[in-house]
Amino acid sequence: MGKWYRDFGPEGDVVLSTRIRFARNIREYPFPFRLDEDKKKELNSRIKDAVLSDNENMSFIEMESVPAFQTVSLAERHLISPEFAGPSKSKALILSDEEDVSIMLQEEDHLRIQAMEAGLDLEKAYEKAEKVEKDIGRVLNYAFDERIGFLTQCPTNLGTGMRASVMLHLPALTKQGLISRLASTVSKLGLVIRGAYGEGSQPGGDIYQISNQITLGISEKEAIFNLESIVKQIISQERNARKELLSDESYLDSIFRAYGILKYARKLTSNEFMKLISLVRLASAEKIIDIDTEKINAMIPDMQPATVNVRNSSMLDAEERDKLRAKEVREILGE
Amino acid sequence: MLCQNCKKHEATTHIKSVVNGEYTQLHLCSDCAGKLGYTDVFSGFGFDLGDFFGNFFSKPKTMLSGSKVERCEKCGMSFEEIVKTGKIGCADCYEKFYEMLLPSIQRIHGKTQHNGKVANVTEPDEVKKEKTKEEIIAELQEEMKVAIEEQNFEKAAELRDKIKGMESEM
Ligand SMILES: [Zn+2]
Ligand SMILES: [Zn+2]
Repeated sequence: MGKWYRDFGPEGDVVLSTRIRFARNIREYPFPFRLDEDKKKELNSRIKDAVLSDNENMSFIEMESVPAFQTVSLAERHLISPEFAGPSKSKALILSDEEDVSIMLQEEDHLRIQAMEAGLDLEKAYEKAEKVEKDIGRVLNYAFDERIGFLTQCPTNLGTGMRASVMLHLPALTKQGLISRLASTVSKLGLVIRGAYGEGSQPGGDIYQISNQITLGISEKEAIFNLESIVKQIISQERNARKELLSDESYLDSIFRAYGILKYARKLTSNEFMKLISLVRLASAEKIIDIDTEKINAMIPDMQPATVNVRNSSMLDAEERDKLRAKEVREILGE
Repeated sequence: MLCQNCKKHEATTHIKSVVNGEYTQLHLCSDCAGKLGYTDVFSGFGFDLGDFFGNFFSKPKTMLSGSKVERCEKCGMSFEEIVKTGKIGCADCYEKFYEMLLPSIQRIHGKTQHNGKVANVTEPDEVKKEKTKEEIIAELQEEMKVAIEEQNFEKAAELRDKIKGMESEM
């Protein structure tokens, strides 16, 4: 299982993980939505050969052979995009043993190469993604134009084709109602911030994903530098807001109540779980409650509905699943 | 359409939702929708993805009647289809419809010139190798001919001396 979503990385009190993703297409083939199934399969096997010959730690998975609930679980664990979990033949996934590098084949583009790291570590994630990108580029020709860069099915990805994202836990800024202001500020800087688990005024777990929106006319390095410097400002804002909140007794009370419910509840919906785990994660990162933050980081994707099913290799109905979730949470938080 | 999960029942629940900050669409029967937990964690929201991306492109000027619709030779897409779907068909489409796409690209990114890594960089044998002496002499002789034709004898004499010098070195 992936260490990257569990580990406490750089700036781990606020940052859960970092991801770099490249959109790439192979010159001689039409983009996926104009490519027939046979050609997709042919291209997939060429890509497979290109990747596996250089990377022993990776395996090739035909998505048709994966049951839908497992596919959704892959999305819950950020190994594939939600779009990729949708129906289509001839999709394939190349995944590293550590689950820190994944390549989606025949998603919106022929290739979506992504690498993940725990905490804030854009450079390391970039190096890993770039290595695979180069391995494939040595064997197959990427669709590229000197004027507008890497060519993609959707023009929003033209240029570098690179999306750098950082997943942030922002319970204090959320509590203070500062997220919408933050969102409008970062949008002026070419970035976009959104809920990582569900949309709405308060996304599940107060977990957000911030990424670069512009890919053309800006180099990979600049885009990463830009993102990193804004993320660092958000981190320090969140830390200040936390300090303020934690001096508030009624907020502290709500943290310990959340901890109490998670420790003893017999039924937990994923919505309730996400709301409570956010408070407990904050308490853990700020060392108010003595639990490893790694444990909590792992619980967040692990307790999502499809992932609960996969772990128990069964299709439970919602009520059974809520009971099972509560039981597993009790076991992790108890002695 | 059959349920994507059990592949047995008719899909009645079409879920547009956001997972991990990204848009997805799933087609499930009501049983599977409940079992997969789509009732409690994913909050759906409604907008049409086609419209959303379609908005990036400016509508083409209406075609004059009788004029032929231009299509990409590789994948068969017309510019109108690109506007309708919000998708480009292949790398050649970008070449074929480059001028028409440019305003939309400008609108999306604010820029139209790539400034990042370059793809498919070939090995260093493409890098200019140094010219051989013979090649230089041939070039000089060419220049001298032109100079003579232009009756620029001063320059021609200079070039002649240069060539002589180089030949004697060989
Ligand atoms: Zn079904
Ligand atoms: Zn085309």
